[in-house]
Amino acid sequence: MARLNAVDLEFRRVSKKYGSSTAVDELSLKVPAGKICVLVGPSGCGKTTSLKMVNRLVEPTSGEILIGGRDVMAQDPIELRRGIGYVIQQVGLLPHLTVADNIAVVPRLLGWSKARIRERTDELISLVGLDVARYRDRYPAQLSGGERQRVGVARALAADPPLMLMDEPFGAVDPIVRERLQNELLRLQEQLAKTILFVTHDIDEAIKMGDLVAVMKVGGVLAQFGPPAEILANPASEFVARFVGADRGLKRLSLTRVGDLELQPAITAPVDAEAADARRRILADPFPYLLMTDREGHPIGWLDQHDIPVEGTLTEQMAESMSPLVGLRTTLKDALSGLLEAGVMAGIVVDEEERVLGLITVEQIAAALRNGGAGPVDGGSASA
Amino acid sequence: MREDEPLIEWEWIERNADQILDRLIQHIGLTLIAVAAGFLISFALALLIHRRRRLYGPLTGAAATLYTIPSIALFAALTPITGFGSILTAEIALISYTLLILLRNIVSGLDSVPAEVREAATAMGYSSWQRLWRVELPLALPLIVAGVRVATVTTVGLVTVAAVIGQGGLGQLILSGLRSFFTTPTYVGAFLSLSLALAFDVGLLGLQRRLTPWSAPKSANA
Repeated sequence: MARLNAVDLEFRRVSKKYGSSTAVDELSLKVPAGKICVLVGPSGCGKTTSLKMVNRLVEPTSGEILIGGRDVMAQDPIELRRGIGYVIQQVGLLPHLTVADNIAVVPRLLGWSKARIRERTDELISLVGLDVARYRDRYPAQLSGGERQRVGVARALAADPPLMLMDEPFGAVDPIVRERLQNELLRLQEQLAKTILFVTHDIDEAIKMGDLVAVMKVGGVLAQFGPPAEILANPASEFVARFVGADRGLKRLSLTRVGDLELQPAITAPVDAEAADARRRILADPFPYLLMTDREGHPIGWLDQHDIPVEGTLTEQMAESMSPLVGLRTTLKDALSGLLEAGVMAGIVVDEEERVLGLITVEQIAAALRNGGAGPVDGGSASA
Repeated sequence: MREDEPLIEWEWIERNADQILDRLIQHIGLTLIAVAAGFLISFALALLIHRRRRLYGPLTGAAATLYTIPSIALFAALTPITGFGSILTAEIALISYTLLILLRNIVSGLDSVPAEVREAATAMGYSSWQRLWRVELPLALPLIVAGVRVATVTTVGLVTVAAVIGQGGLGQLILSGLRSFFTTPTYVGAFLSLSLALAFDVGLLGLQRRLTPWSAPKSANA
């Protein structure tokens, strides 16, 4: 389903006033079709209000919001909303509907046939990485936070809208699940290329997810708008510099993904392999550890070159410590923090089936940092 | 009551089985009409309140006022207008007593829908009418059914009082026993009335469980 369906989104001097207080002040920005634009800022900066004006949950006081060149105020709000995907924190699922029925909400409102709805909901449940047979008839209360979030994304995609609004979509899940959901959304975005307006208060998430980042400050003023690399390299004001943080050099690690670096080869050997052969291979390599895998190629642990027996075969019991597994889409920042947390110098890079592709070391990440965070990443260009 | 007479004379029950059944059916009928009509009125008023919040105070105030009138007094007061022994007299009073409970519960049910859920529904493109029927009312069901249960049980009890105006189903058995100093019909009427209330309560609880499968997770999440 590499159907590309996206539109431009443009704010033209959009303001929202509540009495004498200003929530959004003359916001102007343009998001090209197929790009992710992240609105980020402290609470009270008007980022959520800005997002809600796009589907008219909030009506602007002045200015224009154009979707594909059409002013939203000139459209019927109900029709408009059915054409825009909307994802919020987990509470947004309808608690009385099953997973399949939640995803089917907009298709039903649009009057799709039963067969088409069934086909589409099953397609989407598996697209977001859930097992159809196991999940389609569950209620939201029977799902974990991460699963609810996936269903939320599937629901927003149901009618294949060209534009998606995501308001702190990963705010209610723990950091590990959040990282995985972020990566999955980026993977989906590579296939779907939707125009996405994404709201977060987390600058790290903004840098990771955004093709474009709009930093807003209290009073609804746009402080800076541009690609994340540019915001990190040249903050436009004291406020932006402070908001992105003193560690913005470190944050640039979020702009590079593991797959952008040249991986270190790993010397691997499956259990039952000839010990003598494995020993010969590892002694010829500067890296002193052999990575043992099971018969399917999934890593199970390290074996010090000196502990490899002279003859016989390798057994599972020989494998000692493990390193964290990272994917090609993991950002260098997440990879580094995983390595530091595990207290090891190298992480094992695996593909989607968890088979070994190579290694990534702390030195490599440090080198990328010295070079100014390697190259900027535009959207989903991380090679797979 | 004579010394040698047992509290319950089983033979009397056998001889009067037809009459007892008639009373029971009449009792069920009076209850169902009262709760159904009371529900329709309360439902309409609750929807009105849902749209126009200001009406909440005056409407529940009126329902509360009706609720405080002693039932015997209300039956007696209506008799000159709608007639002694007429179903209408009984029903007007019975319906009046259901309104406060039903109205309050339907409104609290609608209020119990989380604002985020309501907003998500709007954002997906439900019209306000579709949102009401397909999202808010289903989610309000547990509280609505809870109200119907209380109203039904209360009405089953109140129907017996309508015996004083010549209606009242099982109440008439109770009253006739009382008048003739013959305890059997009183006990039969009271026992059946109690059983009926319990049966309605359990039945409605079962209905609610069936209607709201989402509120009882069948398995822990993985």
